[in-house]
Amino acid sequence: MIPWKLVLKNIRGYRKRSVVTVVLSAITTALLVFSSAIMDGSHNTMIKNAVEIYPGYMQITHRDFRDTPGYENLIFDLDSLRRSLANIPDIAAYGARFETYVLYSTEARSVGGMLTGIEPRAEKQLSRMASSLYEGEYLDDEDGAVVYIGFELAKRLKVGIGDELAFIGNGADYSMAADVVTVKGTFRTGLFDFDASAAFMNKRYLDEVMVSRNMATHVIVLPANVEDCGKIEDRINQEVGGDNVAESWFRTMASLVQAMKLDSVFGYITLGIIFIVIFFVIMIYTLLTVYARVREVGVMRAIGTTPWGIFVMLVSESVLLSLVGVLLGGLLGACVAYYFYLNPMEFAGYEEQFKQYNMVATAIPADFAPLVIARDMLIMFVLCVCSTLYPILRLNRYRPMDAIRHV
Amino acid sequence: MKHYLLTILCLLFIFVDHCPAEEMDIDTLMQQVEEALNGKTAQMNLTMRVKTSRLERTIKMESYSVGKDKSFIKITYPRKDTGVTFLKIDNAMWQYVPRIERVIKIPASMMLQSWMGSDFTNDDLVRESSIADDYHCKLIEKGDEYLVELIPKEDAPVVWGKLLMWISKEHLIPTKVRYFDEENQPVRVLFYNEFKKFGDKMYPSKWVMENETIEKKGNQTIMEITEAVFDQPVADHYFTKRALKQFSQ
Repeated sequence: MIPWKLVLKNIRGYRKRSVVTVVLSAITTALLVFSSAIMDGSHNTMIKNAVEIYPGYMQITHRDFRDTPGYENLIFDLDSLRRSLANIPDIAAYGARFETYVLYSTEARSVGGMLTGIEPRAEKQLSRMASSLYEGEYLDDEDGAVVYIGFELAKRLKVGIGDELAFIGNGADYSMAADVVTVKGTFRTGLFDFDASAAFMNKRYLDEVMVSRNMATHVIVLPANVEDCGKIEDRINQEVGGDNVAESWFRTMASLVQAMKLDSVFGYITLGIIFIVIFFVIMIYTLLTVYARVREVGVMRAIGTTPWGIFVMLVSESVLLSLVGVLLGGLLGACVAYYFYLNPMEFAGYEEQFKQYNMVATAIPADFAPLVIARDMLIMFVLCVCSTLYPILRLNRYRPMDAIRHV
Repeated sequence: MKHYLLTILCLLFIFVDHCPAEEMDIDTLMQQVEEALNGKTAQMNLTMRVKTSRLERTIKMESYSVGKDKSFIKITYPRKDTGVTFLKIDNAMWQYVPRIERVIKIPASMMLQSWMGSDFTNDDLVRESSIADDYHCKLIEKGDEYLVELIPKEDAPVVWGKLLMWISKEHLIPTKVRYFDEENQPVRVLFYNEFKKFGDKMYPSKWVMENETIEKKGNQTIMEITEAVFDQPVADHYFTKRALKQFSQ
């Protein structure tokens, strides 16, 4: 039986202690909620950037292509794969790519780089290539000998919109593949290496040059709901079978996912150190306030209150104060997280540092996830209550007479 | 005492005499191997067959070279690649592709790319002939064949970690070369087979390059020399950039 009246009276009676405890709990909770939101937000931004700019949420390739990329490990029956994909629900879009490495050449210089045949209309949904347009125009499905080229690559080759450039490479049959193409547009994703080495053409035209009809290096799939990548991946693998395999972004970009997890671990270790400090601050503060009530506890024991009764009363006070602090702090942290979710934090001037982490935008939004907020609040609540247990247990060890005589 | 002194003097004599002699021997040997392999000049008709797990492809070509520094190659088959020409002068390489009517210098970054889809690289065409300049050579065995280990010199622009070369004592031409990467793993092996007489010169008429990497195990490039003329004058005009377009027809 919890003596609620007495608990509430004590909380009101020791107002200063109550306010300080609530404020401490609230600030700590707000800090945790906000830190988690920013950490998850930056990780989500990195992953979103890395996935959406070019690789896509899901890739279908020949099963050996990732380990040994080359013309021996292509998707050789693209039409049949397309028919299989058409039967799978929950796929928003898909498109084929033929990636190859060529030597680009202009009057000014020759530079090696990646040339990818894409299906322009489908690619608009699959990656940010179309929205990364810098100058000129993006490709369309009827295009012929035109190229959509990285801004930095165009600079290296000293070409602009309407200029011609040649490329030489090996066709899928290992014959010499070469053509002269006109620059239709340039793109700028912000990823320097990508912008300095990649160019795109309409796959239908490039297939003629590369002798790669009905072949592809990748088929990129966009699930209707990106959260369902795992399910769609399983479904495609059941449906497609054979030599080709579908892999979601968390497999194709496993190293990035690992890096994010590792970063989260370091983030939580840092937060953990802060929480240990806060834990002891609350504990010491509780210890001081509890010791100020030794005589009161002595009197209560003398009039017949059991140690368990004292324990329940003090823990109930702690639970109530922690609950109020955590709720206030959680609300505050959630509001701040929501604000930065809608208005991402700008880090103008740090573009170079961001590029090292494959981040194009310098704005980082916080992640507003109610479940994560609830988790953080629960952690803080448990932490706050636990930090008061030791002082309460010590207080309960006093015998009534010793407690009454305590100065 | 006299006996000991005599022994020490004999050992010293053998040691002093032996080391420079071996170095001189191996240098001379490698020089002779290079001369035998390249000839003063060479004009050849070659057929190259590239075999991968997926397809087999045949390319025919004419080749003109002077020593180890200059060479000119013209593709004559298949029709799609006919007229593609390559020019190598010292360590630089250019190519001409009729479809785009351009002469393109192959940059250093593309030197390790496959040449015409084969197991040879552009770098092989440019660097292969400068073995004596770029490697420390060490004679390992003198059995039926010489076995020479070639370790790249520190500042040599070489991609291999080590080469092992088996050399025919009879013809002073390699019979086999094994290429290792920097981690000492075998990458590929080149066999020089079927020695034939071309004019006065015995020469391997079949070169087989086998890929030894896990990724490309089983890939093979076979280069067969159908005709060859050695040590006859080769016109200088083959070795100009103008020739790339001129002789493309």
